[in-house]
Amino acid sequence: MASITRCLRVARPAVFTAVARASASRSVAARAFSVSAANALRKYTKEHEWIDLSADKKTGVVGISEYAAKQLGDIVYVELPEEGKEVSAGDAIGAVESVKSAADINSPISCKITQVNLVLEEKPGTINQVAEDDSHGGGWIAKVQVTEQGLKDLEGLMDPDAYAAFTAEAGEH
Amino acid sequence: MGPSPSFEAISRRLISLSSSTSSIRTHHINTLRISRTTSPKRHFTQNLLRPLQIYRSTSTDPYINLSIEHHLLQRSHPDSTILFLYTNRPCIVIGRNQSPWLEVNLRALADGLPPSDSKPNNYAQPISLVRRRSGGGAVFHDHGNANWSVICPPAIFTRDLHADMVARALRERLGVPTARVNGRHDIVIDVDVDGTDAHATKTFKISGSAYKLTRTRALHHGTCLLSSPNLSRVGKLLRSPAEGFIKARGVESVRSPIRNVGIKGDEFAEAVLAEFRAMYGGGDISHDGEVVVTEEQALANNDVVSGVRELASADWVFGQTPLFTFSTEPTEEDPRPRPDVGYKLREGFRAHLVARHGEIQSVNIRGFSGTEASATVDADTPALTSALVNQRLHHTTDWRRTLEEATRAPVDPNVGEFLNEMFGIRPSVDGKNASVAQMVEQIISDTPLGKFLAQKQPQE
Repeated sequence: MASITRCLRVARPAVFTAVARASASRSVAARAFSVSAANALRKYTKEHEWIDLSADKKTGVVGISEYAAKQLGDIVYVELPEEGKEVSAGDAIGAVESVKSAADINSPISCKITQVNLVLEEKPGTINQVAEDDSHGGGWIAKVQVTEQGLKDLEGLMDPDAYAAFTAEAGEH
Repeated sequence: MGPSPSFEAISRRLISLSSSTSSIRTHHINTLRISRTTSPKRHFTQNLLRPLQIYRSTSTDPYINLSIEHHLLQRSHPDSTILFLYTNRPCIVIGRNQSPWLEVNLRALADGLPPSDSKPNNYAQPISLVRRRSGGGAVFHDHGNANWSVICPPAIFTRDLHADMVARALRERLGVPTARVNGRHDIVIDVDVDGTDAHATKTFKISGSAYKLTRTRALHHGTCLLSSPNLSRVGKLLRSPAEGFIKARGVESVRSPIRNVGIKGDEFAEAVLAEFRAMYGGGDISHDGEVVVTEEQALANNDVVSGVRELASADWVFGQTPLFTFSTEPTEEDPRPRPDVGYKLREGFRAHLVARHGEIQSVNIRGFSGTEASATVDADTPALTSALVNQRLHHTTDWRRTLEEATRAPVDPNVGEFLNEMFGIRPSVDGKNASVAQMVEQIISDTPLGKFLAQKQPQE
């Protein structure tokens, strides 16, 4: 997702911004619920992916951030990762298309893909609505099994506060 | 079209391609124009760490040019900015997430273009079918179309940045005052419609854009129609006979009226180069920094060859197609009234087919007998269904035979002919049809690239 950072400013009507804002607040509510329910630990990459880690740190859920989804614009197609595939941190595991752009989705940590979000095949726009929702009907991309290396990779990622500061800074450029 | 090796066979051959390209390297080192190195190991890739890089390809092969571009995207320094210019021989290039069955008239593609004026002979010019790695819609390329590509760090990337650069080159260096970037990130111009009203103008698209974003890089490539002699043929080529029957996931093209801008290729390239230098290089980057990449050089690079191998495979061109539904009747998902099927098909004929990655997932064909014996025919529908599921549309050579083999019930040959037309299979005079995958493969095998690949096959 790196390329959607900072200056990918797409001119879009004010209406969309309003909708995006409304949906963002909805998804924050949804996230708060799922986070407390699963006692998940959330981390972000500089390339705008997120991962929710289960309490036992053995499994996780991966997606792209609301910030990234907003920068990308209307997502019209999602190429989902391959189930069963083992990947390293930074590997391209799938792609999304929006406004003539094919953008890679990269794995935030080393892991094995155990499940993909088939809802996105039919409704790719779910990512624009609830990008960071890891529940049923949310915009998550894949569920993963965390490897030993994956646990180490986590240390280099940002917590939600650091990521918020990171994107705020990016927005000022 | 005679028997020819399958895409898989070519892919297998290509996989066996190793670094044993030294003979080619020594052979074409003489053709290096700019790279002044004498070391055969240092090719056009020697500049990949420079902050500013300019490349021009002398190849007109779309698979090679897109693979050079992909190589530059993957291997260049993350902070570098690159301009790459190239021209392709006639081809249709569809977006990463498009369906060739929806976007392209595959039979017209197989017919090719009329013989070229510059090389008069009796042969039609073939048209290649290419699926690019970037997003967006389907476009037609030929020698009268210039391709420009900018690879830059994500931090400076916007969708209009380099379309504006090319529009500026057109306005300020090439005397096209109305050139501008529209809301779809395309470059358009205004053209006087006729002489009667001085103010009557119409807007035409001359350049389209597509993007590929990776973890560390942003690629923006665009076309620019300069002097294509084939514009009147583009509409037909980019209109599938199955358009009225197919609902696809992924990306559907948006039709725009197009026009040539009437500039020579060299002039366009020079103006875009100058604008790129003005934008990034100041006086620092001279003509010396420009690298000319020949086809031989490109094919001496293993990255480029494996890129070509992927792009030219049926698995990529057809197998990457997102799920689509073909239906002769309106459905809940796609309630459009359907076009008249035209053929002398029986009243009760119905076909409904879902394909994912070109492979049939579910299919229901009813009323496929030319007779009125509908009861027995439709009773055989389940047998037909189970015979067709998992069959790949791009490897089907003749629906008439496919249907006959799938059921013991009588089959109206018009049904097979209708499906052949819908899925782009061309009738042949000798009774042997070729699949669309074989058709695309045949076009590749007749090119220098095809000959290179054939030479590179392992000794058997």
